[in-house]
Amino acid sequence: MNPTTEYAWLLVGTNLLLFLIVAPLFEGIVRRVAARVQSRQGPPLWQPLYDVLKLLGKENIDATGILPFRLAPLVALASILCVVAILPVAGRATALTPYADTLSVICLLTLGGVAVLVGAFSGKNIFALIGASREMTTMIMVEPILFMILLLGVLKTGSLDLTTVLYGTPAGHYGWAGLVMIVVALFALQAFVGRQPFDIAEAEQEILGGPFIEYSGPNYALFKYYMMIKQMFYAYLLIAVFVPVLHSGLLGVDLIAQMLLTAVVFLLIGLLAATHPRFRIDQALNYFAGLFVLALGAVAGALFG
Amino acid sequence: MVFTIYDGLFAGLLLLLAAAFITPLFAAKRTLAGSLNFAFCLAAGVLFALVSIAVLSGGAPAEPFVLKVGALAIPFLIDGFSAVFLGLIALMSTLTAFYCIGYMEMEHYRHYGLADFLRSFPVFIAGMAGIVTVDDLSTGFTIAWQMMTVASFFLIRFDHHDQAITRSANKYLLLMELAWVAIIAAAALIPHAGLGTPLHALAEGLGSADTGLRTLSYGLLLFGFGMKVGMFPLGQLWLPDAHSSAPSPISALLSGVMIKTGVYGIVRTLFWMVPEPAQHLEARHLGLILAGFGVVTLFIGTVQALKQNDAKRLLAYSSIGQMGYVLLAIGTAHWFVLSGNPLLQSLAVLALIGVLYHTTNHALFKGLLFLSTGSVQYATGTKDLDQLGGLLKLMPITALVAAIACVSIAGIPAFSGFASKWAIIASGLLGGKSAGVIVLFGVIALMTSTITLALTVKFYGMIFTSAGVEWSHKGGVREVGLVMLLPMALIAAICLVQGFFPGFFIELFVRVFAHSEGSLVQALFADPATQASLTHSWAGVGLTLGGQPVAFVMPLALLAMLTVAGLFAAWLRRAGGAEQRQAPVWLCGYQTLNSANSYTSSHIFAAFKNFMWWTGGNVPRASKV
Repeated sequence: MNPTTEYAWLLVGTNLLLFLIVAPLFEGIVRRVAARVQSRQGPPLWQPLYDVLKLLGKENIDATGILPFRLAPLVALASILCVVAILPVAGRATALTPYADTLSVICLLTLGGVAVLVGAFSGKNIFALIGASREMTTMIMVEPILFMILLLGVLKTGSLDLTTVLYGTPAGHYGWAGLVMIVVALFALQAFVGRQPFDIAEAEQEILGGPFIEYSGPNYALFKYYMMIKQMFYAYLLIAVFVPVLHSGLLGVDLIAQMLLTAVVFLLIGLLAATHPRFRIDQALNYFAGLFVLALGAVAGALFG
Repeated sequence: MVFTIYDGLFAGLLLLLAAAFITPLFAAKRTLAGSLNFAFCLAAGVLFALVSIAVLSGGAPAEPFVLKVGALAIPFLIDGFSAVFLGLIALMSTLTAFYCIGYMEMEHYRHYGLADFLRSFPVFIAGMAGIVTVDDLSTGFTIAWQMMTVASFFLIRFDHHDQAITRSANKYLLLMELAWVAIIAAAALIPHAGLGTPLHALAEGLGSADTGLRTLSYGLLLFGFGMKVGMFPLGQLWLPDAHSSAPSPISALLSGVMIKTGVYGIVRTLFWMVPEPAQHLEARHLGLILAGFGVVTLFIGTVQALKQNDAKRLLAYSSIGQMGYVLLAIGTAHWFVLSGNPLLQSLAVLALIGVLYHTTNHALFKGLLFLSTGSVQYATGTKDLDQLGGLLKLMPITALVAAIACVSIAGIPAFSGFASKWAIIASGLLGGKSAGVIVLFGVIALMTSTITLALTVKFYGMIFTSAGVEWSHKGGVREVGLVMLLPMALIAAICLVQGFFPGFFIELFVRVFAHSEGSLVQALFADPATQASLTHSWAGVGLTLGGQPVAFVMPLALLAMLTVAGLFAAWLRRAGGAEQRQAPVWLCGYQTLNSANSYTSSHIFAAFKNFMWWTGGNVPRASKV
């Protein structure tokens, strides 16, 4: 193994460690922000990690006795970990980036959602099914929006290679289509990360956690971890797509700069979540349809403009 | 004596025709007759498969052959492109015939005689084999089309005591004859065309025709073959009714193979029958028009599928949707090839590979989905998604093979739909600015694949997991026998191979087009640069343009990554030393009596279904959410 491949494998490890450790911290920021908005003290920043660790030791109750129920949390976490391992963080391709293009990564992200659905569908709990139905509906509308955000890069570079798509175009070259897309991305952000006003699938006060209602202990811990990492992935993606890498020459510096920016995105997520009441699914659908048309317009603008 | 590929083809066809006379004699002994039917289909299937393999592996340009029957001359041509379809027909018909032995024993079918069924089944297969091997659009085409259509009409109306079913079958017959008239009329309009004029002569004739006539011919051909393939809005007229009426193995053949003859016809029309002068005139736009129809078909078909509560109607609508992908790819490829832009031409290669790849993948996974639904119907007596559920414990093997089919159609990474949809969508997107509106079509196609995912989850969830308390309570539902499981398992295995080794298939399809004489794209595919741009390794396939890998699909690599990550997750789950316990879902004490309170297929995605009311295909809802 030559030094460059060693370095690339090192990046896989760095990515995984980074997301596994920092994702709960970012979740902590969101909870703290929400608490401050509501004039509460809020939990410690590491509380989400403590939650996961504690859940790992709790009793694991199997409510269905069939394989899909037990498989779902594994697939969910595995899929998002694969995405993270593939993701070229701070402009540098990892050893696994050459094995998946943009379409593959989108499919992997969808796989995580499917795992949640399969888990929900394996039980007889109606709340789980309602939640799953809403989750899938959201996914149908939001997935293409995410894709169109990446598509501008595809159109500019003529490539589906993830590093090229994410970092191949200087932000200035996107023109007004890029500006529209930033707006779309900001408006879709809460839906990407499944937060208020778009926490329709889980909606604790209404359907008691929806797809996750029958999950407990380590299974639930895996799902929680999956959601935190997914949330961080989406927040990070906005930074990766729209904010140019620092290019300081040092991975550490670039990375820290990007993580600080990601933390800002999380502040935004927390603020929006704490100040917006939940949409009904039909309201959300209309909202997404508007964003979809807007994004499609931006893509058309990039194509024909 | 040298045994040519045509000897093999005719021997197979004769065997099937003989079967149509012999097996009905044994119709009273159902199992024996079914086995006999299978034996004939197997023999013919082996012959067809040998012909197909000989053509595909030989790579030599196939010689045409003219069969003289009295005054009629019927030209035949088996080139690589025909061979792919012939092989598909051989595979699916043989396995389905095997499945039929068990399936026709179903309680519901006991009081129906099998003679008609046994007479029609081999004729149907012979007709399909004929369609993809005859080389004219008059005599031979008519014989093959009528054999296929009339035989399948009798197969669809098998359950003829039900008036709705005979009505669907009549409608099917009528529309297929209409399609036939359109195609025959198109061929008759072409100058210098007579009975038994081979395709390349028809193409020359089209070249000398004037623009109006040529446009009319192309329009009629696309109408006729579009009807067969299920293009919007034609497919909606017959496809869901016919597919849901026919016995499940027949639906598997209709959806798995028969509608592919439409794909065959459209590709032949667009890539073999557009002569040089027409390429710069109106035929230039054929591809874009077809791509437009394709994208509408895939979106509308799939959304309509999502609304269905009848398992087989759901699958039928989804077939329309999947054929939309194929039409989109055919149109994209045609438009790109004629664009004259070298970048778009290299993407056309990928799109055309996507056509054949998705067609063959769809044949297998949709066939398997219909067979699984058949097994469920066999075991439970219903195909209503509102009533089914929880069969995973009772029918584990059917559930497993259905799961493989579902992940394949949904395009989950590493399974077959993943690679073929990748080829179709990537080829559209990479064109960038010069591809224009095709890029937007690609976005719609990608969105639709998420809807496909949703309907697959619903289909699988409503049949095999979720509620279904009644079944487990009532008892009496058992896994189907080995005779039905074996063909399903075989198809599932092939599905996996299709998904895991895209390199093999892509190389095969490149060879197919490179060695099929007379097409627009032969030179393009035979170009070593084309073959060099598609690199494949153990992990999958990559497309290289201008020295840069621009798109790649690596199913095995993704599978390996997922496995490693999954093992890590499994370790993490056990790391805390948590205790395991089984406890049923708390349903307020009504563990087996909550059927009135369950969330059924009608309720799922209700908001989305309402949102998409304008796409049609709506199903009246049983109750409000």
